Amino acid sequence: MLGKKRVYSLLSTVIFLIAEINSVVAEEITVYTYQHVPFAEQTDTKHQGMIVDIIDELFSRAEIEYKIIFNPLKRGLTMTERSKNVCVLPIVRTQQIESEYKWVGPVLISRYGLFSATNSTIPLVTLQDAKSLSIGTYLGSGISEYLESFQYQVQLTNDDGLNIKKLERGRIDLWAAELISAKVLMEQAKVQLGEPELIFHTSLRAMACNKFMDDAKHQALVNALNEMYQDGFMTKINREYGVSL
Amino acid sequence: MQTLSLLISDIKNTLRIRFSASLIAGIMLSVFISFALFADDTPEPRQANNQQLSKVQQNWLETEFQPSTLSLSEQTKELQWFQQKSQPFKGMTIRVVSERINTHQYESNILAKAFFDITGIHVIHELTNEDDVLKKFSAQVMTGQRLYDAYISDSDLIGSHFRQQHVMSITDLINHQAKAYTLPSLDLSDFIGLAFTTGPDGKIYQLPDQQFANLYWYRSDWFANADFQKQFEANYGYPLGVPQNWQAYEDIAHFFTHDISEIAGEKVYGHMDYAKSDPSLGWRISDAWLSMAGVGDKGLPNGLPVDEWGIRVEDCHPVGASVERGGALNSPAAIYAIQKYKEWLVKYAPPEARQLTFSESGHWAAKGNIAQQIFWYTAFVPDFTLKNLAVMNKDGTPKWRVAPSPVGKYWQKGMKSGYQDTGAWTFLNHTPESNQIAAWLYAQFVVSKTVSLKKTLVGLTPIRQSDIESDYMAQKAPYLGGLVEFYRSHARHVWTPTGTNVPDYPGMAGYWWQAISRIIEGELSVTEGMDALAEEVDNHLIKLQEQDLTCGPKVNKKQVPSHWLNKPGAPKAELPNKVKGKTLPFEEAINAW
Repeated sequence: MLGKKRVYSLLSTVIFLIAEINSVVAEEITVYTYQHVPFAEQTDTKHQGMIVDIIDELFSRAEIEYKIIFNPLKRGLTMTERSKNVCVLPIVRTQQIESEYKWVGPVLISRYGLFSATNSTIPLVTLQDAKSLSIGTYLGSGISEYLESFQYQVQLTNDDGLNIKKLERGRIDLWAAELISAKVLMEQAKVQLGEPELIFHTSLRAMACNKFMDDAKHQALVNALNEMYQDGFMTKINREYGVSL
Repeated sequence: MQTLSLLISDIKNTLRIRFSASLIAGIMLSVFISFALFADDTPEPRQANNQQLSKVQQNWLETEFQPSTLSLSEQTKELQWFQQKSQPFKGMTIRVVSERINTHQYESNILAKAFFDITGIHVIHELTNEDDVLKKFSAQVMTGQRLYDAYISDSDLIGSHFRQQHVMSITDLINHQAKAYTLPSLDLSDFIGLAFTTGPDGKIYQLPDQQFANLYWYRSDWFANADFQKQFEANYGYPLGVPQNWQAYEDIAHFFTHDISEIAGEKVYGHMDYAKSDPSLGWRISDAWLSMAGVGDKGLPNGLPVDEWGIRVEDCHPVGASVERGGALNSPAAIYAIQKYKEWLVKYAPPEARQLTFSESGHWAAKGNIAQQIFWYTAFVPDFTLKNLAVMNKDGTPKWRVAPSPVGKYWQKGMKSGYQDTGAWTFLNHTPESNQIAAWLYAQFVVSKTVSLKKTLVGLTPIRQSDIESDYMAQKAPYLGGLVEFYRSHARHVWTPTGTNVPDYPGMAGYWWQAISRIIEGELSVTEGMDALAEEVDNHLIKLQEQDLTCGPKVNKKQVPSHWLNKPGAPKAELPNKVKGKTLPFEEAINAW
């Protein structure tokens, strides 16, 4: 038989725990993403895209309140570093920034290719074959840092779409781009560059959260994502958006 | 018959055994079996056997793949075999990934291109950081998406591979799926790192591609300086030489950082290290630092029942990492190891060292103001032998040497010492068979005897005994600062990777850098940090109990620490502090092993 004191003590512990759990769940997470068609797109009336759908499913399963804010990637990263209940995605998860965030991933697996201009063919067997050529990339895409780290001749732009124009005008030899977004950018520019000369890199993109984010919340999100892979949700959504390796 | 006589002559020379009628009969039988295996049991037409090498292929052979331990005709035969066996896969593209060290850059840039010219198989050999290789491997397992057809990943994962069964073993590949596509002259027994990639079930899970060790690095020119020698002996009571224990390392560190302090007007340091919060900080410790201190039990390639991660295994089941559960991760020896790591970093290393990662710190010693470094990866040898470096002589010989690393006070003979690892070819089960075989052909190509000596000379990460014993390596030895001597010595058997006690390397590696970082930042004391780390590893083992793993964890109940500390072996009770420093001249230091 439990004594009266012990019952009270047990009861207050349970109440305290419930309150704690509630407060963990109740605190809203702000999720930053950026205009990145077709993965994430902000129109006048709504947010849409594969990343938006993934966020929704992820937070629903983890039973955590959230709101999405569209902002440039750099601002999203800054906000994530500053505040405890903030995450940003999709971010290329690399060893250099591993210790700066708590991670939930992968949410996106991307391939990068080198495209040549419509009227030219540059046969490439290895990436090394492009060493003497100028390669246009998008500032902050992750792939620019990758290529620069191997001393490739990289030319950066603030707008990835510009690289198509540069390519067509002969100002760069190759354009390094993520394959799915490249397709959309080509459609927008009404230019068909065809298949890439070489698909040379694979990256894992994840959701980066503030490194002091509550462990329970973080674990709930990690578990939810695992579940989404295991029950086929991620396969289904990748198929819906035409994302395949 | 020529093969038979060569074989007999080899056995006579190397094994020095007397022939008997039964032995000859046995050899003839094995040669017969070898010929049977060589015999073509694949569907390709017979004329492929006589396929000639094209001009481009001949060019690769004559200009790039030299020197080799094979004769030109033997190399031609190997290339013809690749050409012939790749026919069904011609036009395919396969993807592989590895870390970005010189050896793999050579493969990615040169060998992948040669392989394309020889076989028509297009290989995209991606290079990335080691942590990214691990993350991608885990992601492929988790998502079921085929990111790559093969990985070159460290053999540290062997404990995960044999338990989790996501990986197709090389033994199974050779005997079943890829039997017809296994190079007859692959010669598995020639690989020096095979023990590292073999599970307790006797299966080889990965094929070594490159191998490096973590050795003691020192400025042999400074150590040979008569004034320094005299001063050191006067101060410390024994000769300046290759330290055999941590006390001697500490004395030498103190000597150069504080007693000598400056050479030719430049500040010099007796120690170099790194400590930035980064995944590589974890490897600094989990890559055998605790075994060098003497944390684990005796046994090679890893201590048993307790290994250098402090994990105890009983009947192949991990039972705990904390002392309370029979492990040694927070034992007095482990605490001593981390205390020394931190103490030396603060007292003897350049102040910048605390903010450097592994790769950022790697080239520091080449600047010329570091006297010694206890934990130095030999993968840096190519970068340390470049002309015009402050640590190179004009004749192309280095001013530095590598030697077997000194050991801590808990270390005993029979235990593993430092770290050595092999980056090895790893194939996941769910890879489609044709992709797997095409990748297997590429894997065999980049480790074949046709290319391996040249690759070894480029990247200095030897994998084959035949390359190490070759005349080319002997000629090269004076220019490599003791690397060849190490690989020719018995010491190389005592420098080993993470072993089979660790059941989930990708899932557990992250605990190390996070815990050590908190210790370095002063957030936790060494004891608190190691207690926390041991508890995290215990909890991970408990979580793994829920999975249906081969030889999965069965975690012990907690006991008072004295229950385990009073028993023989690891975890070991605290030892008194003072040990006298001991040094040896280089040759004796190598022969000591």
